[in-house]
Amino acid sequence: MNNKSPVSDASQTSGNSTGRGGRRTAAPSPWRADAQPGAPRKRKSSRREEPGSIRALNPGWGYVFTAPFFIMFLIFGLAPVVYSTYIAFFNWDPLELEHPFVGLDNFALLLDDGQFWMAVGNTFSIWFFSTIPAMIMSIGLAAILRNPNLRGATFWRTILLVPNITSVLAIAIIFGQLFGRDFGLINLMLDIFGFDRHIDWITEQVPSHIAIATMITWRWVGYNSLIFLAAMLAIPNELYESASLDGASKWQTFRFVTLPQLRNTITFVLIVGTIGGLQVFAEPLTLGGNFNGGDSRQFSTLTLFLYEQAFVNNKWGYAAAVGIMITLIVLVISAINFWLTRRIASEDAK
Amino acid sequence: MSSNLTQDSDYEIDPGKKQPAAKIERRRTPRWRKMSLASYITLALVALLSVFPFYWMFIVASNGNEEVSKVPPTMVPGPRFPEVISDVFTANPFFGWSLFNTVFVGTVVAIAQVFFSSIAGFAFAKLNFRGRKLMVVFVIGTMMLPSQLGIIPLYMLVSELGWINTLTALIVPALVTAFGVFWMRQIIDAQIPNELLEAASIDGAGVFRVYWSIVFPIIAQSGFVLGLFSFLATWNDFLWPLLVLNDPQVFTVQVAVNQLKSSYTLDYALNMGGAFLATFPLLILFVVVGRRLVSGVMDGAVKG
Amino acid sequence: MRNLKRIGALLLSVFVVLGVVQPAKAATPVTITIWSFGNVIEPWAITEYKKLHPEVTLQIKKGELDAHHQSLITAFLAKKTPDIAAVEVSYSGYFRSYPSYFEDLRKAPYNVGTIEKNYLDWRWDQGVGYDGTVFGMPTDVGGMQVAYRVDLFKSHGLPTDRKAVSALWPTWDKFIATGQKYNSKLSAAEKTSCTKKKICYGFIDNAGTIYNAVLNQASAKYYENNNTKDGKLVYSTNPAVKKAFDTTTKALKANIGTRINSFTSDWNVGMNNGIFATILAPAWMMDYIKQQAPKTKGKWDIADLPGGGGNLGGSQLTIPKSAKNKTAAWEFMSWYLAPAQQLTIFKKYGLFPSASSLYNDPALKNFKDPFFNNAPVGAIYTAGALKLKPIFEGKKQRAIDNIFGQALSRVAIGKQTPAAAWQQALSEIKKSVG
Repeated sequence: MNNKSPVSDASQTSGNSTGRGGRRTAAPSPWRADAQPGAPRKRKSSRREEPGSIRALNPGWGYVFTAPFFIMFLIFGLAPVVYSTYIAFFNWDPLELEHPFVGLDNFALLLDDGQFWMAVGNTFSIWFFSTIPAMIMSIGLAAILRNPNLRGATFWRTILLVPNITSVLAIAIIFGQLFGRDFGLINLMLDIFGFDRHIDWITEQVPSHIAIATMITWRWVGYNSLIFLAAMLAIPNELYESASLDGASKWQTFRFVTLPQLRNTITFVLIVGTIGGLQVFAEPLTLGGNFNGGDSRQFSTLTLFLYEQAFVNNKWGYAAAVGIMITLIVLVISAINFWLTRRIASEDAK
Repeated sequence: MSSNLTQDSDYEIDPGKKQPAAKIERRRTPRWRKMSLASYITLALVALLSVFPFYWMFIVASNGNEEVSKVPPTMVPGPRFPEVISDVFTANPFFGWSLFNTVFVGTVVAIAQVFFSSIAGFAFAKLNFRGRKLMVVFVIGTMMLPSQLGIIPLYMLVSELGWINTLTALIVPALVTAFGVFWMRQIIDAQIPNELLEAASIDGAGVFRVYWSIVFPIIAQSGFVLGLFSFLATWNDFLWPLLVLNDPQVFTVQVAVNQLKSSYTLDYALNMGGAFLATFPLLILFVVVGRRLVSGVMDGAVKG
Repeated sequence: MRNLKRIGALLLSVFVVLGVVQPAKAATPVTITIWSFGNVIEPWAITEYKKLHPEVTLQIKKGELDAHHQSLITAFLAKKTPDIAAVEVSYSGYFRSYPSYFEDLRKAPYNVGTIEKNYLDWRWDQGVGYDGTVFGMPTDVGGMQVAYRVDLFKSHGLPTDRKAVSALWPTWDKFIATGQKYNSKLSAAEKTSCTKKKICYGFIDNAGTIYNAVLNQASAKYYENNNTKDGKLVYSTNPAVKKAFDTTTKALKANIGTRINSFTSDWNVGMNNGIFATILAPAWMMDYIKQQAPKTKGKWDIADLPGGGGNLGGSQLTIPKSAKNKTAAWEFMSWYLAPAQQLTIFKKYGLFPSASSLYNDPALKNFKDPFFNNAPVGAIYTAGALKLKPIFEGKKQRAIDNIFGQALSRVAIGKQTPAAAWQQALSEIKKSVG
């Protein structure tokens, strides 16, 4: 395992010499894989047109190497989902021996179900509160961490990642205590700062969304700020130097140099956040203690609603229909995201 | 493998270390690079918020229920911690087993994911086989499927295979993920110059040989990070293990924590004691590998 | 290539190892697997049974309430069931529609017909299928009474003696009126605290809990038994449902509650700090109050529930059809649920026995709890439990309960009028259940 062939040695030196800085800039990007620092922005990667990506290597091995993934994924990932899709066309009570076929009835009922639409609204609201402020915070933190004069950089970067490693389950009990209306620490803090009312973080709709968004933000802000930090470190220094020569202020430098360079990263974080946000589940489940999503469904999310239909009401067909709707929503949002990115990109090119 | 990793780490750019280039930059210190006190205060505040829930966990686990129910609640650790921890082991004598099970499942899943993801990622990034583009799109598409959608049919499948109540039920469905493949493809695409592979294959090395002796050593660091993340995900997974595991001897740690709840009520101290035991190993692990995790997250980032 | 083979072999051996990773079986002849949520099987019983039957190992898996029952359903489908499964009363309505998945305990070797008379009738009925099959035996009774704070009653101008307190509220209307009287004695600071949206002091922790208490006092809820597994839905026509709903909205409007929800951390703090003076307390909750607010010892007492008895929680132990060790399971289950063991459990954990043959036992009748001001809790909870009537609980009871509960919450936060909430609840149930 540990044999260091001359070839691999060579690879390491060459990796080194192509530049420590270069390594960062040539980081993986679904949009722009081979761009070099300072090179003109090429949106459409030219990688595919490279004359024969490793022609000498037998392409047949591609099937062998990807087969384990596809086989395992088809059996344990796709097949259950396909079966779920099948179930969505039936009235499927798990313990019933017969499952009558109902066609599109489950979908029709779903579109007419106020609880479903409430879950849609809650999901988007929580998504909003957990995405936009967290994004601003992460970029701000990254801007601080980016400064080479920062002392203890490794320490700060590492500690930011701590919330990301632990289970939502353990943390949710703690957040439940912190967000208590009458005696929670957060409202006690508001008292100290002279707020003249308590916020009911669990019972009221919007505050409960903010509470859940806080749990999500707490978990992901550090992680995202590292992503932004990596992107900022990849911005060529010359850009800053010329901005500096032009006498740009701190804010102007950030606004006109840093931010435009982060566009792809922002899109990436946004898409990942959206896919995760539309499936948010553990936080509201543990905050409310059951699948209802709060006493008046004030924070019932789509995934929670799916589980409620399957686990509490034993309507597996209906639950499967909810799952398909979630998938469709994710696809539509991703398509919009993709379209927006393309549009912005093509405007850039003009 | 581990020695390989350590060797790679000095090749790897550690974002925490000051690079020579950075030193030169510092001498010039343009205006936008001055560190203000406000920045440090912000960082300290965020760091405090990041670790506070863990501290709170310890406070609850080391005090009685009533100390926590005071207004304002106590903010210092109490004397009851050893007692609470021994209560946890009395309430669930298999807690130690559960920790072991989780480490076992997490390690196997991590190794398997790194291996399968990196060979598939290598193929997608560097091998020119037909249908590759379509397959990549497929992989990205599958990342959007809500995983909860298939949980019940998956249970039925796993039960048909006779894996209910075995750790196999946790391991096999987790061996590959679309995310892992996608991530590895990005890493290999960016970190491995084509010329290197061309040179090696002209020397007559087979595809697997090229993967093993050239590709893998270069991406080992990133692979380590992918492995860590799948280890963490396995450690913290809850609903699926609860569904498929039945005996205390095979429980994973999150299921074991859940065994501490009484019928309708909640003993905060006992439950936080359990949660503490379930989190502490991760914190230790984090102290050891945190820096690598940081650089891994940054390597995998989409930049510019 | 050689490496490939080596890795293949390695993986293969890993899988082989995995295949044999099975729970380590202890060297005992019988292992009984039990699934429950929380401590349905109390720790004392586990050690005690080990002494009696060293050859038997009890293997217990606990899940959350919903997750546990879902595991059970999936296990039925996979025919991978435990030997004993607990079914909570909120789910008993569902499982009563599917008795064929359980052993019929009327048959040999169980023959529960001979011991049925030892148990409380309406609790027993929660383990009887729509077709008369006995699929489960009752554990404890969540018999409900009112736990009240003697010191707070005194300072708010109310009587403190438990007889006099019970006499204050023969009906729910009187209970609400008492609440208003209590609240009128709140200090000016306490009143402004609530209007300024800070801590609300009040008579009862959460007025929404009244709904279940009132409804359980009826003889029918949402269903009537018509000997089909679906049952006959009567939720919209049964006056008892409307009455429970209206009583609760009346209490909400009268603002007698603090709006703190049960089992939140606020609730625990409130219990410690005298924010509310009463809790509708099932027998098992006494233990919780002791744990969470040990310093309030002696300040509590127990009075009768208005309008009759009440119940919250409790479960049945069942033996699924595909259980492996039915005989051993039955042996343990019948031992655990026998009156003698139920009495020990009551004394140790405060779980009130469903074995009605104990109700005349002096050990239960004369049992006094110093924490609750030496109230004869045994006698009080016995009287309450005996007042309840059997209710037919139907298949979708839990879903209907949830929808009405959500409607009441909307009223509680002032989002809807009672009438609008009621209408919305009816239409939601119609869509979801039929």
